Formats: sequence, structure tokens, C-alpha cells
Amino acid sequence: MTYQDPSAPGAARHESSLESRYRKLLHAVPDAILEVDQDGRITILNEAAERMFGYTRAELLGLNVDSVVPASMRSGHAEHRASYAAHPKTRPMGTGLELQGQRKDGSLFPVEISLSPNWIEGSLHVIASVRDITERKSVENRLRTLREQYTAELTVKNEQLEARNQEVERANRLKTEFLASMSHELRTPLHTIIGFSELLSEQLEGPLTEKQQRFVGHILQDARHLLELINEVLNISKIESGRLELKPESFDFSQCVEEVMAGIRHQAASKNIQLENQNTFHDSLYADRVRIKEILYNLLNNAVKFTPEGGRVWIGAERQGEGLHISVCDTGIGIPEKEQRSIFEKFYQVGDTTGGVREGTGLGLAITKHLVELHGGAISVASQPGKGSSFRLVLPLIQEQAA
Amino acid sequence: MKKILIADDKATSRELLRTVLERQGYEVMEAADGEEALQKALTELPDLILLDLQMPRRTGYEVLGELRKDPRHAALPIIALTASAMQGDREKALAAGFTGYLAKPVALVHLREEVQRLLQTATDGTDSPAS
Repeated sequence: MTYQDPSAPGAARHESSLESRYRKLLHAVPDAILEVDQDGRITILNEAAERMFGYTRAELLGLNVDSVVPASMRSGHAEHRASYAAHPKTRPMGTGLELQGQRKDGSLFPVEISLSPNWIEGSLHVIASVRDITERKSVENRLRTLREQYTAELTVKNEQLEARNQEVERANRLKTEFLASMSHELRTPLHTIIGFSELLSEQLEGPLTEKQQRFVGHILQDARHLLELINEVLNISKIESGRLELKPESFDFSQCVEEVMAGIRHQAASKNIQLENQNTFHDSLYADRVRIKEILYNLLNNAVKFTPEGGRVWIGAERQGEGLHISVCDTGIGIPEKEQRSIFEKFYQVGDTTGGVREGTGLGLAITKHLVELHGGAISVASQPGKGSSFRLVLPLIQEQAA
Repeated sequence: MKKILIADDKATSRELLRTVLERQGYEVMEAADGEEALQKALTELPDLILLDLQMPRRTGYEVLGELRKDPRHAALPIIALTASAMQGDREKALAAGFTGYLAKPVALVHLREEVQRLLQTATDGTDSPAS
């Protein structure tokens, strides 16, 4: 059986005719183009088809198209052709499948195929446009390999990071648990030390000599100091591990100042220190009320502590632009210039200048600074030894978020 | 004479509390762990309990839970005693059903006030159907 091949390069007599131009077009296409009749035999092909499948034009003409389909797919191919005949329209073949072509030497290569119906004198021919996608596949494979490699590396790194995070979290949790249980263990004996000292000093169990009273007083005082230390160590650990969360609310700032002043008044009066409130900010402040009180109390408490008998301590506050400027000043013993930076450090005690004032925990100002900074504020000190000190802090005036 | 049960696993703490409360004129009983506290609370029917939260055998919370199940002890003043004193401990204790809360170290003045206040409230408040 011979097939007339209108697409053969030499078929046309008139090279300039439209038909000839179409033929050149056909042969210029890099994809293999085949026309197959209803029995599956190849009726038209282009040069790319010869190169792609490794057959000569003569071999391909009349060859059943199943021959260029891999053996593994051949059995279903006739069926596919039948189903295409039922719905003949232009569409890609085997969408979602990995299609392959088979060369004459039996080797396989990946292809992409587009099918179009071609009605010839009432009989359905199919035009198959076959694209060799070997190169694209290999690029895709390379990309996929790279992507998989990167994904794998990233996964490993993420896992490492996750493990490290968990370790840090665990360490933090252990630290908190340790501090909590340590605090508990330390308070338990302090409970009875302080309690029995109090009992003794009440002298309900019998009178004490003056000396004994003084000794019991020392025990009581130092035990309370120890308790204060434990509380503040716990406090600063919470701040440093980021576990201290502010609970901001809108509150009356002047009332807050009054409350803190009331808490310090007795102490000031006992040293005959004049305590003045020069606050001019009477609006509400949006901040953590308890912590702001703690800040003010720490500063006022220090001021009273380091101011000699008959001195003066005053607190001032005023709005300046978007900030609330607060100052706590005293006519106390002051802080030498070279120590003014260090006083905000943990456990720092101003050297020999405390002049007989009983030591604090050395944590009060460090905690104060932390609390101010947690509020987005800043604290500084100006002081002249022998004249007094002035602690200044600026808190941003933040509007409460309309929830 | 009002009866107070002190439940604390530390003997020195029990002696401290006993000394202070006996001076105030109360009758004092002691329990050294949670189980003993529960048994004494059920048999001796104290007017108030000072209950340490961390005790062997049964924690203060467990003892509280058992006692509150009994209608006779539903309104009994029970003060939580704890050396833990973390933020939120008081709220947690009161929410669980404790009537009062004292953090160790307990200032004696607070101890006396709290005990007196709760016994006063218990007496003024409701006449328990049992009495």
C-alpha cells in the first residue's frame, strides 16, 4: 500500500505557490507534526518528525502511529484514539500524564502532544503536534532536585532552630521554676525566724533586757532585709527573662502620686523631712499603675533614705509635648559623678558615701530602670555630693487603644 | 472557746502559730500533713483552719476540696498559708474557695487580724444550721 505524501519536500512543482509556502511552514516547525487517519496510520509528517523518531519519511508513512508509542502505553492507545474520535476537538493529549515517545531504536523520550481533528472527505484524521520536552524535563528535574535539596536543608535547619528554641524555653521554664521553688524554700525558714523574733520583741513570753531587745531587733531587721532581697531577686529575674508583663490601664496620675506619698510620709516624718508634691499633671496616664507606683515609691524611698534629718524631698511632674516628665529630688547626701552611671546596675551600692545609711538590696534602682524602660521611658540622674540628687524620668504619653 | 486547726508540716511553724493564737485565747489543734488535717477537720470540727498549701500526703488545695464537699464545712473559714507568694497566688487561692490568704513570712499583726476578722464574720454572718 502506498501513500501519496503531499507534504514531501519535493512534492510541489511551484515552489512559490501558497501550498509550497504552507509546506515550508510545516517543515520549519521544531515540533514533530503527524497526521494520522482513522485506522491510526501516519498520512502526513514533517521533517522534525523524522529527526525526532529516527525514522525516514518513507518508513513513517503508512506506519501505525502505535509504533512511536512506548510498548507500555501501546495497549491503551487504540482506546484513547477511539475516545478522541467520539469528542474530536483541539486539546492536549493525556493531560496530567507523563507521555513518552519511542524512537526507532527503541529509546524513549518525554513528549507533550496536542491533538486536533482534521475532517477529510467525511473521515476523521487527527493532527498530532509532538514536542520533545527532554530538555525542559531535565531542567525541571534539576530544579526539582535543587528545590528538594534546599527544602531538605531548610527543614534540617528549621528543626535545629526549633530544637534550640525548645531548649531555651525549657531552660527559661526551669529557671523560673527554680526561682519559684528557691523563693519558697527561703521564705519557709524566714517565716519562723521573723515570726519568733517578733514574738520575742513583743515580750509577751517574758521581759527582755535592753541589750536582748536590741539583738532581737537586729535579727528582725536583717531577716526582713533578707526577705526584701529574695523578693527583689525574684522580681528582677522575672523582668530579665521577659516574664514580667505590663498591665496598662488609664488611671488618675495625681491620685497615684498621693498614694505613694502617703506610703512614704511616716518614714519622712520620722526623720523630720519635708515632703512636697509639686505635680502639675492631673490627667489620666495610660500605663501599668502598680509598676508606676513601684517606680515612684522606689525613688521617693531612696530620696528619704539618703536625705539627712531636717532635709527636703519633693516630687514634680509635668507634661512636655508627648512626654510626662517626672522628677524626684532631695537635699540628701548626693552621688559622686563617677558613680552616677553605675547606680542603675544590679547590686551596686554607692561606695563609702552612704554615710551610715543602712544598705538596701542594691536592686531597687536596677528594677526601677527596667520598669521605666518597659514603659518605653528613660531615667537619668543629676546629683551634687553634699547638695542632693534629682532623678528625672520621661514616660511617653500613650493614648489607650480604642479596643 | 473557738477552736482553730493549724495544718503545717513544719513543726516550728506550727509552734509559732500555736503560741500566737493561744495567747489570743483560742483552742489550738495541730496537723502535720494534709491527710491528718482532713481527718482532724472532720472529727474535731474546728471553727477555723490555717491550711498550708504545700504539705505531704495531701496538698492544701486537696484538703480544701474535700472539706468543701461536706455541707458542714461549706462556710468554714479556711485560711491558705503559703511561702510561695508568687503574683496571682492569692487570687488563685480565693477563687478555689479559701476564705483568707496569708503569705509566709506572716506578720503577726496580720495573722491576729485575719483570724479575728474571719471568726467574727463567720459568727455574725450566718447561724449554721448545725448549731
